[in-house]
Amino acid sequence: MTLAVLLLLIVTGFCAGGFGALAGVGGGIIVTPMLAIYFGLPMHQAIGVTLLCVIATSTATSALYVERHVTDVRLGMTLELATTVGALIAALVAHSINRRTLAVLFACFLLYSSGSMMKKAWTSRNAKREETIPDYTPQNYPVGLAASFIAGGFSGLLGIGGGPIKVPVMFLFMKVPLRAAAATSNFMIGVTAATSAYVYWGRGNVRIDIAAPLVAGVFAGSLLGARISSKVRAFYILILVIGVTGWFAVQMIYKLLTGGFQ
Amino acid sequence: MSRQDVAADRVLSFTLKFGAYTALALIVTGLVLQFVAPWGAKVASAGLLVLLATPALRIIAACGQFLHERDFKYALVSFGVLAIVLLAYFLGIQA
Repeated sequence: MTLAVLLLLIVTGFCAGGFGALAGVGGGIIVTPMLAIYFGLPMHQAIGVTLLCVIATSTATSALYVERHVTDVRLGMTLELATTVGALIAALVAHSINRRTLAVLFACFLLYSSGSMMKKAWTSRNAKREETIPDYTPQNYPVGLAASFIAGGFSGLLGIGGGPIKVPVMFLFMKVPLRAAAATSNFMIGVTAATSAYVYWGRGNVRIDIAAPLVAGVFAGSLLGARISSKVRAFYILILVIGVTGWFAVQMIYKLLTGGFQ
Repeated sequence: MSRQDVAADRVLSFTLKFGAYTALALIVTGLVLQFVAPWGAKVASAGLLVLLATPALRIIAACGQFLHERDFKYALVSFGVLAIVLLAYFLGIQA
């Protein structure tokens, strides 16, 4: 690998980790398309490497959020019972799904994520940050567990964290304040991603030469992003990430239509 | 937030930080070393293995903390999550 590619991977990781932590999304929606579209990695390998980046984001940001008592460890642990089962089943199944189908599913997920982020940007454009988190008791565990199982499945299949599924469910159905829901989801995605990463690693779908520089960048980016997140207005970063995600979706669909991802 | 929870969060956050910085240090060292020594890449992959182990470590830390607080319900929940993660690990090795 040339020094230029190495540096490019580090920068990619840094941006994915930094913007991910600032916008409250996992880096997965940035890293997987980058690897699959521009670095020409097969989908399974792109996903395997991304899972490691997701663990890095989760570990780096959670260290801070747990310290600030924003993360609900009990709630997270309970929902992980479902995400890990979903992730394990999906990771075992992913092996027998062909690359084009995975790419189609991923493109759909990118479109869904852009939509859900647009909604978030629209509602947060004038909202003041919640400074303190109000007291709450999580409700409706069956719905939360079911959504977590599905989120875990998507994580094992596509390498993403599943935040865009879990956070709205925790907020709307389980009545968890948004900031606590986002931090708890961040805590969970590391454990969920690790479950499927073990399977991808065992099957040789984690390219160490690509994962190492990316993960280094993601670590640095998300440590920095999480630290400055309370001082930066998320709105403009969200708009940027929506633009990037939308662009990747268009690129993936174009590549699919022209017979790519074989 | 009770005082016990505050202490528990400190233990957990230390575990996360320790894993994050150890993995990052190994990976960066490995990335630099690989240009001068062939075994540099091995150091980087050791860093990735540390990274892969941190999620399991954080569950163990949480489980230990719940046991310490005599909160057996959540100790059992953590233990269940750990069992699934370890199952994935062993299935992964065989895959």
